[in-house]
Amino acid sequence: MDLSRGASHAEAAPSTGTTIVACTYKGGVVFGADGRVSIGNYIMNRASNKIAPLSDYIFLCRSGSAPDTQIISDNVRHYLHQASAESGEEPSVLMAANLVRLINYNNKDHLVGAMLVVGWDKHAGGQVYGVPISGTLAKEKWAIDGSGSTYIWGYCDSEFKEDMTRAEAENWVKEALALAMTRDSSSGGTIRMYTLDGDGVHHTYIPGDQVPQFTGELPFPNRDPSGAVLAAAAAREGGMVIG
Amino acid sequence: MSIFSYNGAAIVAMAGKECVAIGSDLRFGVQMQTITCDTPKVFKIHDKLYLGLSGLLTDAQTLHQKLMFRHNLYKLREERDMKPSTFGHLLSNALYERRFGPYFAAPVVAGLEPDGTPFLCGMDTIGAIETAKDFMITGTSPESLYGMCESMWRPDMGPEELFETVAQCLMSGFDRDALAGWGAVIHVITKDKVISRTLKTRMD
Repeated sequence: MDLSRGASHAEAAPSTGTTIVACTYKGGVVFGADGRVSIGNYIMNRASNKIAPLSDYIFLCRSGSAPDTQIISDNVRHYLHQASAESGEEPSVLMAANLVRLINYNNKDHLVGAMLVVGWDKHAGGQVYGVPISGTLAKEKWAIDGSGSTYIWGYCDSEFKEDMTRAEAENWVKEALALAMTRDSSSGGTIRMYTLDGDGVHHTYIPGDQVPQFTGELPFPNRDPSGAVLAAAAAREGGMVIG
Repeated sequence: MSIFSYNGAAIVAMAGKECVAIGSDLRFGVQMQTITCDTPKVFKIHDKLYLGLSGLLTDAQTLHQKLMFRHNLYKLREERDMKPSTFGHLLSNALYERRFGPYFAAPVVAGLEPDGTPFLCGMDTIGAIETAKDFMITGTSPESLYGMCESMWRPDMGPEELFETVAQCLMSGFDRDALAGWGAVIHVITKDKVISRTLKTRMD
């Protein structure tokens, strides 16, 4: 029926059009991601896991091209494992971030990966590094990325505070993700959130029906362009409409 | 991106026993950004005739306005409402008039004929008309909607059952579509009244 349908599912590349959010708080880091993977407008996976472990205490939040970021995470996990085997210590977050950054930078013509490297190590505690497309590396107090992040810069800027408690930081991450998931069509589904505080890794999974909603009670839609005329006609007997 | 998936829509219409139901999602967006969640894509033509339009929203709105104009003139001349089957052919003709510069909209017509039998038809963007006895769908994820309707539809459903079925098909169908959703509205048309309900759905 649709004569000029665009790229079919087979042709479009899967993308984690995504929202990823991370922040430091007093004691560690909290980070999270949505769960939607789409091919064009088809939602291929509505509960995917976009947070890949690089080591026991270092994680990669992935956005951009799904296959590119998966390969990057596999490669960096392998390098980190080798490095920590040689040094005998847990790898540092800075090393992990640099490895991701180098892959992005040296293959900038081919890769589309906008990622956050988040972790905890004994040298510097909780850290958040932004590693966007093309190979920048930026250590930040908080970072967001993905297509949905454009909608929440204002929220993140105004609501972030230094040295938040764990509960405040988790709420900040969860609300930011939920707001982005409402407005960005390529983000949605579920929220996965991790908290690292030196004691261990705490994973929170928020299924779709428990994601905070921001639209309240919707009134009955009344946007019929000729609604005013029809409503008036309905009130009169006979219903003749002079349009 | 295709012109037909610039705005996004999901529309389902089904026939029951002496009743029809038609529903659409409520999202209005521009490509991947959602602007509002109160934009239905189903429009009333008269008490027993509703029109759903998917595709480019500006063309859907313009087509609706032009058809209202035609129907209003028809009412003045004929002194009665237009039959849904007539309306379907009127719409098909109006679309084919623009064969080489078409309206980027795909309509679904749902109504009750004067004798009470349900009428359902759908068209492509240039007016190729097909009638159906069971259901008609259009939107940015037709595969999802067809799959749901094909599984859920059965003949001779009453108004309440029909509402439930259309609601479930629409919601499960557009939950797999990034460009449709954010609430839904469903109208159930019977011979003495129309019951319109809004559905609260996941808003992502």
